[in-house]
Amino acid sequence: AAAVLCPVRTPLAHRGGTLRELCGFLRGLAAGPETHFGFQTVTEAERREKIYQVFESVAKKYDVMNDSMTLGIHRIWKDIFVRKMNPSPGTLLLDVAGGTGDIAFRFLNYVRSVRERQLQWKLRQQQNLSWQEISETYQEDKVKSLGDSRVVVCDINKEMLKVGKQKAQHLGYSEGLSWVLGDAEELPFDDAKFDVYTIAFGIRNVTRIDLALREAYRVLKPGGRFLCLEFSHINNPLLSRLYDLYSFQVIPVLGEIIAGDWKSYQYLVESIRRFPPQEELKAMIEDAGFFKVDYQNLNAGIVAIHSGFKL
Amino acid sequence: KMAAAAAGSLRRAGWRLWRGRAVVSWQLCPPQRAVQASAVLRRVSDEQKKEPSVSSSQFDLHPNDYQPEQEPRGPHPSYTGQGGQESEDYESEEQLQHRILTAALDFVPEHGWSAEAIAEGAKTLGLSVAAAGMFHSDGSDLVLHFVSQCNTKLCELLKQEQKQVQLGEAEKKPTDQFLRDAVEARLRMLIPYIEKWPQALSILLLPHNIPSSLNLLTSMIDDILHYAGDQATDFNWYTRRAVLTGIYNTTELVMMQDSSPDFEDTWRFLENRVADAMNMSNTAEQVQSTGEAVVQGLMGAAVTVSSAEGSRVVS
Repeated sequence: AAAVLCPVRTPLAHRGGTLRELCGFLRGLAAGPETHFGFQTVTEAERREKIYQVFESVAKKYDVMNDSMTLGIHRIWKDIFVRKMNPSPGTLLLDVAGGTGDIAFRFLNYVRSVRERQLQWKLRQQQNLSWQEISETYQEDKVKSLGDSRVVVCDINKEMLKVGKQKAQHLGYSEGLSWVLGDAEELPFDDAKFDVYTIAFGIRNVTRIDLALREAYRVLKPGGRFLCLEFSHINNPLLSRLYDLYSFQVIPVLGEIIAGDWKSYQYLVESIRRFPPQEELKAMIEDAGFFKVDYQNLNAGIVAIHSGFKL
Repeated sequence: KMAAAAAGSLRRAGWRLWRGRAVVSWQLCPPQRAVQASAVLRRVSDEQKKEPSVSSSQFDLHPNDYQPEQEPRGPHPSYTGQGGQESEDYESEEQLQHRILTAALDFVPEHGWSAEAIAEGAKTLGLSVAAAGMFHSDGSDLVLHFVSQCNTKLCELLKQEQKQVQLGEAEKKPTDQFLRDAVEARLRMLIPYIEKWPQALSILLLPHNIPSSLNLLTSMIDDILHYAGDQATDFNWYTRRAVLTGIYNTTELVMMQDSSPDFEDTWRFLENRVADAMNMSNTAEQVQSTGEAVVQGLMGAAVTVSSAEGSRVVS
C-alpha cells in the first residue's frame, strides 16, 4: 500500500517543490541574479545596497584607514598611477568611484607642474620682448595655470563625495574640479566626452563590471584611455601567504580599532579575493572594445594598473 | 543563470582562442571587434581610396564609424568565422601608431622629440591627447619611427637609382661618388629637424634605446654598401661597414654645428673622409703587395744563398 501511495505522493511533492522553486526564481529575477558580497552569496540588488552602506559608514575614516592598512604605500601607488597617465594640459579626466578625490588632486598637481614647465620653457625661448608683451604673458598664465584641464569626480555614494568636497576646500583646490553623483554602470554623461577615464580601487565594488567597462568605452573620446588601479592577485606563493595572513588577521582588527567597523573591512578583504585576476580583467576590458590592453603589477601583484585605449 | 554563466565563460574562452589564433597572423588579421566597430581604426579599403597626402579628409570617418549604444550587444558574431573576411579590412593598431607618429613629426620643430609632439599629432588625426599614452613618455618611439622612415626612403632612392642604371638611363657611379651621394641624401633628410636633432641623438643613446638604434644604423649602412655593389665575403665586409659607420657618424656630428649655407662645409667634410677611406684601402693593398714582394725577395735571396753554399760545398 505504501508502495502504491508513494508514487502518487512524490509527484505531488515534486510539483509543490517546483512551484516553490518557481516562486523563488521569479523573486530572484526581480532582485537580480546571484552574485558575491565578500565570501557571501547575495542577489545583485542586495549587493548594491550593502556596498552603499559599507562606504557610507567608512566615508569619514576612509583616508585614515587607507594609510593605516597599507602603511601609507597607497599614496605611492596613486602617484605611480598618475605618472603612468602622464596627462598633458588640456586633458579632460573622469575619475569614477573617486569619492575622496585622491586621484583628482594628484591629476591637478601634475597638470599644473607640466604647464609651469611649458610656460618657463616658452619664456626662455622668447628673448627681446617688450614690457607690454611680457606682462601680457604673465596675465595669460594666471588665467590658464591649468591649461584647460578639468577633472570630474563621479561617485555613487553621497557621503564619499561630501568628504571629497571638504578635502578639496581644505587643501585649496578650487578650479578645474567638479563633483557628480553617478553610477558607474550608468554614467550621467554624453558619449565621447572625456580624454581619460580612471577608476582607482573602485571597480571591485561595481556589481556588473562589464556594464561599467562599456560605459567607460561610451564616454571616452576616440583615442581616449581607460586606466584602472585595483588590488589584484599575487603569483608568488610565499608572498601570497604573508599577504593573506596580514589581510585577514590585521586589517579587520585595524578597522574595528580605528573606524569602529569590523564588518566593512572584512568585506573589503574578502572582495579583494573575489575580484578577477589580472589576465581575466584584461580579457574583460578587451571584450568591452578597448585596444592595446596591458597591465602593470605593483608590489608583485598586490596592486595592478590596467590600461586600454579606445581605438 | 547557470546556463548564462556557462555561455559567458564559453564566449570568453572562445574569444581567447580566437585571439590566440589571431596573434599568429597579427599583421594580416587584427582581432575582430565586430559588435563595436572600432571608433578609429579605418578600413583599409577607405585608405586606398584617399591619397596619403590628404589628411584633413580622414576626420569625417570617425563620427561615421562610431556606433551608437542602440547597436545590439548580443553574443559576438565574429567567432563563428564570418568576421574573418571583415577583419582583414581594418588597419592594425601598429598602422594607427605609425599614422600618429608621422603626424607628430610636424610638431617636432616646436615641441621637440617628446610626448607633447605625439599628443599634438594625435589631435590632428581627431584622436584624444590621451592617445600619446600608447607610446613611451620620453619620445623615443617618435625618434625611432623617424629614423626608420628615413632609412626606408633611402632604400627606395637607392633602388630607383639602381633600376635606372640597369635600364641604361644613367651611368654607374664610381664607388666614392656613390657613397658620398648616399650619405648626403640620407643626411639631408635631417635638415627640417636639424634644430632638435641633438635631442634626438641623446634619446637614441639612452640605454633602453641602444639596441634599436644600433640595429637601424647597421641596417642602413648595410643597405648602402649592398647597393654600392659590395660582395665581400672575407674580413673586408666588417672593415668596410665599420669605416662607413665612422664616416656617417662623424659627418652627422659635423652637420649639427654647421652654419654654412646649405651645409656646404659638411659635404666637403664628407668628401674628404670618403677620399681618405678610399686611399686607405688603396694603401692597404699597396702595403700588402709591397710586403709580398719583400717576402718573395727574401725567399729568393735565401734560396740563392743556400744553393750557392751547397754548390760551394759540393765543388
